[in-house]
Amino acid sequence: MKYKIVVIALLFVGMWACKPELNEFKASKGSADFSVYMSAGNSLTAGYADGALYKSGQQGSYANLLAKQFEQVGRQGDFKIPFVESEDGVGNRGAGLVTKMKMGFSTDCKGTTSLAPVLANPNASQAELFALLTTSVAANGPYNNIGVPGAKVAHLLAPGYGTLNPFFGRFASSATASVVSEIAAVSPTFFTLWIGNNDVLGYATSGGIGDVITPIDGPPGQGFAASYEAVLQSFGQFASSGAVANIPDITSIPFFTTVPYNAIVLTDQSIVDFINSQYAAYNQGMELVGLPYRINFSLGQNPMVIADNTIPIPDGVPIPKIRQIKSGELVLLSIPQDSLKCAYWGTAKAVADQYILTEAEIANVTAAVTAYNQVIAVAAETHNLALVDANANMKKLASGGIRVDGVTFTNAFVTGNVFSTDGVHLTPQGNALVANYFIDAINAKYNANIPQVNVTEYPAVVLP
Amino acid sequence: MMTALAINFAFAGGYQVRLQGNKNTGMGLTGTALNMGSSSIFYNPGALTMMSQKLDFSLGASAILSNVTFEKSGSNYQAQTDNKPSTPFYVYGAGKINDKWSVGIGIYTPYGSASVWDDNWAGKLLIQNIALRAIFYQPTVAYKINDKIGIGAGLVYATGKVTIEKGLNYSATSKATLEGNAASIGFNAGVYFTPTEKLAVGIDYRSKINMDVKDGDATFTLPSALYNTLPADNKFDASLPLPANLDFGVSYKASDKLLLSLELNWVMWGTYDSLKFTFKEKGELLNSSNPRLYKDSFIPRFGAQYKLNDMVCLRAGGYYDPTPTNEDYFTPETVSLNTIAFTLGLSVTPVKNLTIDLSYLQLSGIKAEKSYTPDNFSGTFKSTAAIPGLGLSYRF
Repeated sequence: MKYKIVVIALLFVGMWACKPELNEFKASKGSADFSVYMSAGNSLTAGYADGALYKSGQQGSYANLLAKQFEQVGRQGDFKIPFVESEDGVGNRGAGLVTKMKMGFSTDCKGTTSLAPVLANPNASQAELFALLTTSVAANGPYNNIGVPGAKVAHLLAPGYGTLNPFFGRFASSATASVVSEIAAVSPTFFTLWIGNNDVLGYATSGGIGDVITPIDGPPGQGFAASYEAVLQSFGQFASSGAVANIPDITSIPFFTTVPYNAIVLTDQSIVDFINSQYAAYNQGMELVGLPYRINFSLGQNPMVIADNTIPIPDGVPIPKIRQIKSGELVLLSIPQDSLKCAYWGTAKAVADQYILTEAEIANVTAAVTAYNQVIAVAAETHNLALVDANANMKKLASGGIRVDGVTFTNAFVTGNVFSTDGVHLTPQGNALVANYFIDAINAKYNANIPQVNVTEYPAVVLP
Repeated sequence: MMTALAINFAFAGGYQVRLQGNKNTGMGLTGTALNMGSSSIFYNPGALTMMSQKLDFSLGASAILSNVTFEKSGSNYQAQTDNKPSTPFYVYGAGKINDKWSVGIGIYTPYGSASVWDDNWAGKLLIQNIALRAIFYQPTVAYKINDKIGIGAGLVYATGKVTIEKGLNYSATSKATLEGNAASIGFNAGVYFTPTEKLAVGIDYRSKINMDVKDGDATFTLPSALYNTLPADNKFDASLPLPANLDFGVSYKASDKLLLSLELNWVMWGTYDSLKFTFKEKGELLNSSNPRLYKDSFIPRFGAQYKLNDMVCLRAGGYYDPTPTNEDYFTPETVSLNTIAFTLGLSVTPVKNLTIDLSYLQLSGIKAEKSYTPDNFSGTFKSTAAIPGLGLSYRF
C-alpha cells in the first residue's frame, strides 16, 4: 500500500515534465491563394528608410514581413528582393547621392552638440554611391518585391522607366521594361500594391514648388485613376487575390510636423523692438495697399517670417511678398536648422517657399489624397481586393497614437517608433505595424487567418 | 539556516503561497480547523492550545516546479517561462507554558512569485522576469479559554525583496532593473473550537501587510545617448499589498483512522488596485501607475487523512483557486489563472516523536485568453506546477 502511494506520487511528478501545451491559432488561407506573392509600390514597399535603400532596411520592409507570414498559409519559394549589398546604402537627396542616416551627434552653429540624424558615412564618394545605385542585379531576378523608390502610379506603366529612375533600372529585366511588365515572369497568385504617395508627396516635400500633384483624370500613364486601374489589371492577369493600401494624410508625417511654426524664440526685449522697427515700413505699406498682413514679434515664441508669392501686392508697389506663418501651416524637416538659429531666417530673412507648406498648399495636398483614396476604395471594391486603410491608421498615430505590446506608436519624429530618421519612411518596427494592418485587412477580406507579426521583435530608431 | 536557501516562489492565486506545513499541504492545504501541531502558528494560532504534546517543532520546504505557456492572440507565436525551482519553507516551534497558555514562533514564506520569461519574448516591454519573496516572523501567544475553545494571536514582522526586470523600446538590450527591500508588520489571530469530540471549527484572520519599498535601486540599461535624459542609476519607491485572509474551517473525525477537513479562504485581493512606481529622478518621465484591479477570491478546499497504523499516515486533498486578476489587466508578471489542485501526503514515524512528512501538490492553471489593455497585449495562458515537499516534525 505504502509503495503504491509512492508510485502514484511519482507518476504525478512525471506529469510536471509535460510543459503546458497550447494550440489555439489555426492558420488558414481562406479564399485567397498565397502560393506566389508579389509586392509593388514605391519606397515604402522597397524598404527604403533613413533616407536610403540599404540591405537590412529592405529585409525589414512590410512586404518581406508579409512574405514570411504568408509561409503559414501556403506561400512557396523564395521571396526575391533586389538587395543593395550595403548597410550604408544609397539615397537620393536631390543635390547628390548619400548614404543612409543614423542617429548621432551633431554640433550646430552655436556650438551646441545634440542627438540628431547624421550621415552614416559622410565620406562616401559620389562615384561609389553611383556604382552602388546603378549596378544591375537583374540577372538574379525575377524579383517578387518590385517596389521602386520615387515611383508614382503612372511610372509603373512606363516602358523604359528604368532609364529615368535608377532604383528601377538596377533591377529592370531590360532597358525597355516597365515595372508592370516584371509581373509576368513571377506570375503571382497574390499581390499587394501601395502606390500613390509620391503623386502628392513630391509636391509636399518641395514646399509645393518642386513637383506637381498628379491629376485624377487623364489616360493611363498620366491620370491617377486610369493609371491605377491599369496597374491593377496588370496584376489581375495573374493574381486572383490581393490587397491595396490607400494614402495616408502625408501632412501628418514627421517630415511636416517636427519643426514648429513658431520656432523663433526671443528673450530680449531690445531685440524684439529692433526686429519690429525693421518691419515698420512693411506694416505701413500693407496698411496703405489695404492688405491684412502684419509682421509683429514679441517675447517668447514667434511665427517665422516666410516668403509667399501669392500675396496680391499691386504691381510696382515695393513691398516684399513675405508674411508671418500661420499656426496651421507647416515647416518642413528639410529646413536648414543652422540658418534658423544663426542666419536670421524667419526674422530678418524670410524662409523660402520650398521649406514651407502654406494653408493653400495643404488644402491641395488634402484634396488630392482624398480624391486618390476614393479611386483606391472603388478599385478595391471593383477588383474584389482587401483594402488597407493607411489613412485612418495614420490619423490614429497623429492623434495620441496607439499602443501595441507595450510599444507606443505615434507620428513623432524619432521617438514615435514608426518613422525612421528621414521623417518619411518607416522603421523596422513601423514596417511590422504596417504588415499587421495588411494582415488584418487580408484576413477580413478573404476569411483567412494569417498570423500577426510581433512588433517587439523589430527595432525602432536605433540610438547611439 | 533556512533563510540561506534560494527562495523564489511560484504561487497559487495572485502571489500567495500556502505551503506552510507539509501535513497541511497533503490535505489540500487546509489547516484552520486542524490540530497538526506547531504549523497552527500559521494556520490558526487558536489551535496551538490544543497540541497533544508539551513541545512541538517542525520544519520543511517545498520545491515549486512551474511552467507557463503563452500563445499570442492572432498569432502562432508562443513563449514559455524558464522558471527556476523555488523553495518556500517554514520553521515552527511551540510549547505549552501551562494548561492555559502556549507560546510559539514561526518563520514562514506565505507570499512570493517568480516568473522568468526570455529577455526578448513578445511581452518583454511588460516584464522579462520578476522575483518577489517575503519572509514572515511570527511570535505567537495562545490561550485556552476552556477545553473546547482556544484563541491565539501572533505579531507578524514581514521582510520582503522584489526584483523586476522589463525591457525598454530603445534598443534590443535596453531594460530597467528594479530591486528593493521592504519590511512591515501585521498580525495573525484565530479561534479554534471543538464543540464535540469529533468536530472542530476554526476561524483565522491574517491582516493585510503593505510591503513599501523605499529607495529601491533602479538601474537603466540604455543606449549611451539617453543617459543625458535618464540616469543609469536611480532610486524608486513602490508598494505591494499582501492581502488579508479570512479563513473558515471545519474538520470531522469520521473514525479513529479517518479525519476529514473542509475549508473556505477569503483572500482580500480587492486591495490590489494598482502597482505604482515613483522615481527619485526624472519622475516626470518614469513614474507610472499600472492598474491591476484585483478582486477578492474565495478558495474552497477539502482534505482527508487516513491513519494506516502507528507508523504511517496517508493524506489527500484538493481545492479550486479562482484567479483574483482582472480580465482587462492581466499581466504576465503574475500569471494567475483559475487553478485546480490535487494533493497527496504521507507521514512516516520511524521512531517515537519524530515524523517525516512528504507532500505533493499538482496545480493545473486552466487555459484562458487574457489581456493587459493599457499595453494592448493579449494572449492565451496555461500553467502547471508540481510541488513536492518534505518536512520533519519532532514532538515530546
